[in-house]
Amino acid sequence: MTQCRAGLLVLALGLAGRAEAQRPSVRWGAQAFPALTETNVVPGARSLGEARVLLPVAMLHAAALGGRLRLVATANFEKYTIPHGELAPGNWGESFEDRRHPHTLVHELMLVGGGPHYFVAAGKGFVPFGTDDPMTRPAVLFPVNHHLSQILERAVAMAGLGMRWGSLEGAVFNGDEPISPGSWPAWDRFGDSWALRLTVRPVPGLETQASHAWVHSPENRPGAGPDDRKTSVSARWERGRWYGELEWARTATADGFFVFRSVLGEGALQLPGHRPYVRIERSERPEEERVFASPFRTRRPLFENSILGITRWTIVTAGDAIELRRGMLRYAPFLEASWIGIARVGGGVFDPATFYGREHGASITVGIRLAIGMTMHRMGRYDLTPAEGNTRMTMPMDHGVRSE
Amino acid sequence: MTLMRMCMPVLVGSLAATACGDSGKGISQPPPPPSGIVLVDSLPIPEFYGIHDQFVRDGLAFVCAWNTGVLIYDVGNGIKGGSPAHPMLVGSVVDSGGEAHNAWWFHNPVTSENRYLFVGQEGPGNIGANSSGDIHVMDVSDLANPREVAHFHRANAGTHNFWMDEANQVLYAAYYNGGVVAIDVSGTLSGDISSRLIDTVSFGAGTTYTWGVQLYNGSVYAIDMVSGLWHLNSSLATPGSSGGGNNEAARYSSDLWVANGYAYTGTWDHFQRTGLAGSLLKVWRLNATGAPVAEDSILVSGVGAVSDVEVSADGKLLMFSTESGPNSGFWFYSLADPAHPTLLDKYPIASGVHTATFATIGGRLYAFGAENPSGAALIILDVTALDQ
Repeated sequence: MTQCRAGLLVLALGLAGRAEAQRPSVRWGAQAFPALTETNVVPGARSLGEARVLLPVAMLHAAALGGRLRLVATANFEKYTIPHGELAPGNWGESFEDRRHPHTLVHELMLVGGGPHYFVAAGKGFVPFGTDDPMTRPAVLFPVNHHLSQILERAVAMAGLGMRWGSLEGAVFNGDEPISPGSWPAWDRFGDSWALRLTVRPVPGLETQASHAWVHSPENRPGAGPDDRKTSVSARWERGRWYGELEWARTATADGFFVFRSVLGEGALQLPGHRPYVRIERSERPEEERVFASPFRTRRPLFENSILGITRWTIVTAGDAIELRRGMLRYAPFLEASWIGIARVGGGVFDPATFYGREHGASITVGIRLAIGMTMHRMGRYDLTPAEGNTRMTMPMDHGVRSE
Repeated sequence: MTLMRMCMPVLVGSLAATACGDSGKGISQPPPPPSGIVLVDSLPIPEFYGIHDQFVRDGLAFVCAWNTGVLIYDVGNGIKGGSPAHPMLVGSVVDSGGEAHNAWWFHNPVTSENRYLFVGQEGPGNIGANSSGDIHVMDVSDLANPREVAHFHRANAGTHNFWMDEANQVLYAAYYNGGVVAIDVSGTLSGDISSRLIDTVSFGAGTTYTWGVQLYNGSVYAIDMVSGLWHLNSSLATPGSSGGGNNEAARYSSDLWVANGYAYTGTWDHFQRTGLAGSLLKVWRLNATGAPVAEDSILVSGVGAVSDVEVSADGKLLMFSTESGPNSGFWFYSLADPAHPTLLDKYPIASGVHTATFATIGGRLYAFGAENPSGAALIILDVTALDQ
């Protein structure tokens, strides 16, 4: 808490003397994706289909002092719509396996201050590490590498320097992952983990980043678990009709006893009225003991550091959405399909052929993206550098919306 | 011939439990006796990750509490006025690697010293493939101020459960993917004792991942998660000469206990090796050469593992612990017929019991167990009434 207060003090000092009489501004928005997913990559060698409301989010962005002081707030209602997770083969984390976990209700609550050349921020939100949150990227189903490439929902204090060509950000935060959709960070662990991210924008449209984080005991809230050392490198292109990203990530757990790697590439092309996209991913994940009550859940709290193996997921995803508007409401029926391959890495008793009854499968998702108000910001970045694309949403609904 | 019990719902304590099998012949379980289990104490343990195992001897309980280290409680020794109902903390020590999992307090009959406590560190592991964690040696001459004096390290492998040949001053340690090791622990132990390795053995044609080891009648018995129950000569250099091994392919094996001319082993089915539900307590008759021959098995439904197995010192009472399922807790079986244990009673613990051990204190028989988090605790049950 002492470090948290120190962060707020730095924030206040950064703003001192800059109070200009400028009108505050407030923007808001909301979205939800009713969707049906069917897949044959399910524990127990069967198929399963589920209809859920995905990514129900409300956003509020307020700015004052000419934008030198900003509030970024995002509420995520998955606690209510997917309390048992979203069916998503390969997804993992926060005691979920093959289901994406629901995010916490208070997804972001960040106070950001500064100017074009520096910023400070504090609150609950994203750590300056890795790539943008999958929520703001083209595909609906999250990639396997979410817990390798992003660190979020932490009590974080950060500072950054912004230049025309990029930025350098550093942060301290609590290492513990959320333990439920209603949980808050363990405040007594604030400051036990850190991250640095260097972003370079050499030419308009191109953004590259390299980041590194040391995360103390992410999987055990009291702090008894092994630590993660995480690295991410990526290049992102967004200009005109084209969007693309290549990323590589690596997490070494327990002094490198376990290493998980990920390579991901994705792209999207804005066409009149729709925006097809593709994502190709190869990511590794730990296989943990599933609990008796659900083959989609793992044991928490942990009480040992063993896993059953490591699997490598190769997933090719393609989709498209037709973008429409009726009044304030933007809506986009979409179809997304994935081919999924699962392989064992480095031994262990986990055998996907036994557990899933297959080593290759598929999933298909149909649904509709609904949104009103402001477009979603790039979750994971709070710097004030007015770089191109930095405040734009990369979801298809934000480009070339066609009115009926 | 292996005989498996038929599914038979029985009421034990306040829970409905099921002992199941595939023989197709129903065997009526005896009606449960009036509960012979008395909860004596539930001692909270810091959840850093909680408690993994306990070694009880001479009225002292050495509680292995992961990163909290080893907590030494007087549970009837008298050194601190403790009792099973009122354990009193005597001392504690955190091993240099943390992750304290199991322990053995060495009573050396050669030197008449009770100086050393061996502590197993269970480091990260990929079950079936690799593991980590050293053996840490604590000097507990002063129980109130124990200190680490030595350690044993094996490259690319980590230790699990111990057994000691105290008369010969040899520590046997299961070492997961390293099989079993025998270590000379005679004399004074100091610093790196890795050079004291006497012998080592791995099992099976495939991957070795050894859970536990026990010395019985001059033979070493080892339970390997992948390849089952092995019988070795006390010289590890000549493994398998007496038989056993490659005798459990449907499930992963877990703990063992050997007594009365029989071996009792558990299975660990968190992942369900071949899709079979529940976990087994297997009974093996030891033949004239000491080799195990499958005799019987008890299927416990609604659990992910039979996590620990032990027979009371008088050979009358079999206990095993279970975890990861609605039928988690302590299970007690009569060994009136050691080939075919019969259910006496069960003590349910919802979050599961990771390990359990017997101790006789003040003429009464107690079961000590490690309750998993959340709510990690050292559970102490008086089971004297069951030991008939």
